[in-house]
Amino acid sequence: MRRSRMSAAAVAVAMAVFLIAACSSNNDSARPGDADGKSSSILTSRTEGRSGPVVLQFYMLGNAPKDLPIIEERINEMALEDLNVAVKFHYTTWTEWDQKYKLLLSTGRAVDLIFTSDWAFYQQYAHQGAFMALDELLPLAAPKLQAFVPKEMWDAVRIDGRIYTVPSTYKEYVTGGFIWREDLRRKHGLPTPVDLPSFEAYLEGIRQHEPGIQPAAFGSLVDSSIQHAYLEVERKAVGPMPYGLYASYDKPNEIGAYWGTPSHLEDLKKYKSWAEKGYLSKNVLNDPVSMQDQIASGEAAALLSDNPTRYNAMLSQMQAQHPDWDLGYTPFGRSTGYATPVHPMHNGFAIAAGSEHPEEALAFYEKLVTDERYNRLTQYGIEGVHYEVKDGFYHALDKSGFEREGMIGWAWRNPDYMLFEPSYERVQRIFNELDQIQKPDLYTRFVEDYTEYQAERAALEQVVKQYLYPLLAGQIEDVKEGLAIFMEKANEAGLPKIQQSYMKQWKDYLANGIVSNQGEKPQ
Amino acid sequence: MLKKKGILHELYTNKILFLMLLPTLLYFLVNNYLPMIGIYYAFVQFDFNTSLFKMDFVGLKNFEFLWKSGKLVELTFNTIGYNIVFIFLGNVLSIFVAILLNDIKGKWFKKISQSILFLPYFVSFVILSVIVFNLFNYEQGVLNTVLQQLGADPVDVYSKPKLWIFFIIMFYLWKNFGYSMVIYLASITGISEDYYEAAKIDGANAFQRAWHITVPMLKNTFVILLLFALGSIMKGQFDLFYQMIGNNGLLFSTTDIIDTYVYRSLRVTFDMGMATAAGVYQSLFGFTLIMIVNAIIRKVNKDYALF
Repeated sequence: MRRSRMSAAAVAVAMAVFLIAACSSNNDSARPGDADGKSSSILTSRTEGRSGPVVLQFYMLGNAPKDLPIIEERINEMALEDLNVAVKFHYTTWTEWDQKYKLLLSTGRAVDLIFTSDWAFYQQYAHQGAFMALDELLPLAAPKLQAFVPKEMWDAVRIDGRIYTVPSTYKEYVTGGFIWREDLRRKHGLPTPVDLPSFEAYLEGIRQHEPGIQPAAFGSLVDSSIQHAYLEVERKAVGPMPYGLYASYDKPNEIGAYWGTPSHLEDLKKYKSWAEKGYLSKNVLNDPVSMQDQIASGEAAALLSDNPTRYNAMLSQMQAQHPDWDLGYTPFGRSTGYATPVHPMHNGFAIAAGSEHPEEALAFYEKLVTDERYNRLTQYGIEGVHYEVKDGFYHALDKSGFEREGMIGWAWRNPDYMLFEPSYERVQRIFNELDQIQKPDLYTRFVEDYTEYQAERAALEQVVKQYLYPLLAGQIEDVKEGLAIFMEKANEAGLPKIQQSYMKQWKDYLANGIVSNQGEKPQ
Repeated sequence: MLKKKGILHELYTNKILFLMLLPTLLYFLVNNYLPMIGIYYAFVQFDFNTSLFKMDFVGLKNFEFLWKSGKLVELTFNTIGYNIVFIFLGNVLSIFVAILLNDIKGKWFKKISQSILFLPYFVSFVILSVIVFNLFNYEQGVLNTVLQQLGADPVDVYSKPKLWIFFIIMFYLWKNFGYSMVIYLASITGISEDYYEAAKIDGANAFQRAWHITVPMLKNTFVILLLFALGSIMKGQFDLFYQMIGNNGLLFSTTDIIDTYVYRSLRVTFDMGMATAAGVYQSLFGFTLIMIVNAIIRKVNKDYALF
């Protein structure tokens, strides 16, 4: 009896599979040949790797560029001859990159070279031992690279006294600034946003004159797009500190709680007033479209904050579709009076702790940075096919092919070989302006060690999303009460413990680290 | 009688059968049992530089974050609650539609409706989330545009947590019920025509035939699908909840499940230990649940039990 029932069920499942298969049978006929072709090519590339040179696994965050196989082939031709190595470029895509990055480093995958950045938690990973220390390796494997990167920069990326990444030497600013639709401003005679009051006046004008356009876009990650941006411009924060802590750039030592204070309440009320006036979308927390795309497509008219390079990219993207539209930009430095150039940690390349070929990897990376052929090829593609140089500027030839910096090679930019589009002048002008008021970055080098409070930290993450995000988005009717609830939940999750430990670490860092920090001022 | 002769004799007498079983056993051993060693990650402080068994043992510290936020009960309740509704409504709806479809005579109509019901299964949740956002967003959503055309006030759907219980269930069913429906349809195809003919001769109408023949005959498939579903009752539909709700804290009270909570908590914390701890909690809970339900089913009717 039992057997028959089970087998009846098995038959049912088998028939279900058959029915499902029948649904998709149409697609199958075209497949076999296709699959064969693919598998054989993978096979040959594998055997090549085994019998011949060392194959380096090169990992980048972001989306793979077009024509990557062509570039890879050319690079490998040169690398085989020069170093007897081959390289395989991998891209994580931007979706869930932080998860993938974590898995790449912690699951024992073969990774030789991998991109690092402060926003990809370089300091924490290095501190935890995910990367290989390069101090001894550099003079052996890449003396030219060691000499090329200034000593201050090597020192600036040291974690616990050791070098774990090769910093980029290109100097840029990724500080914030107001971005707005300049053509609309002119059309309606609105004020130019230079500080918060004029920014708000601009938004008000857009609301009145352009009912179809969202005055400002923020995206769903409102802690960075609203809170940190606001603190940067209005309260001159030393950096985007986590856990509701705040220290000003002028007095970094006076670190203290920001969440729950009267100034926090005041700021939340400000955001609430923005939401009430309709400056920000009511459903900003669920918005699937990035704020940059909303500007480029004309859905929204302004951003509270973005950096000069992205402003330029947005403007180019926008004018490709709508030549008569225009964007304006005011760096926050104009009202705050200072700007910090990007920290050398912002773009770098590390060798994973588990790499089996660290010398080869570093030698190859040296070529990538210091050899013009390697560098130009991976940054701009093939000259004459993808781009040409006219009057010293970069001009794209094949719009559907490899794009400028398509390999997301921010880390191996070499100022000596860099080519810019004519529109880059806009960015350069902003950078020149900021150069006049530059001050060193005090925040980025700080390495937070959260092993002591990692349970509280994880619990807090949820509380912030659940109770603070709606407040930031101006979705809570009674701001004061909402803030009280948030603080209560955050304290339950262990906020005081986190803050105390973080503040202590920060003060220690300022006491010990600030000296070597002075040397960080890029040349 | 087997016991007397021992396991070696058993192996020897059925050696061909055991040999045939070997690949499957190996498959499960390598893919399902061996990786369980990784459970130990839940009890150590993760370190990039040493191997698993050399890392520092920290006891239950990695589990702390689960109850630190005071949400564990709510999350477990939400996860199980949604899954029970999914299982119950999903199966009832699939059986109902499978019976209807089976009784349809027109071959083309039957095939087409079957395909239409099955197609949403292939829609990715990311696309679903964009569709949902375009339906419900306050400023330009389809719903509010229609409401405004009719002269009504717009509704802010994304600030009403209770409403999302309904939406989540609705979109889950829309997307998934076609799949189990096909399984039931296959089961129905396997029921002998003789029963129906006999019932017809006895004067049973279509409803009576469905209720007294088809439904009892589907019980077996239902129980198996139920047990399979129970095993993963603690594993929420991460994609569905994460894509639909995202970072909108206003809706968490009714829509947050363990999976989304763990994802959000550990997104910025790259600790394998804590992530594993969450997985272990879910697996243990699911394991206990399936043992209990299986035991109950065994008590009621031994033939239906999974093991």
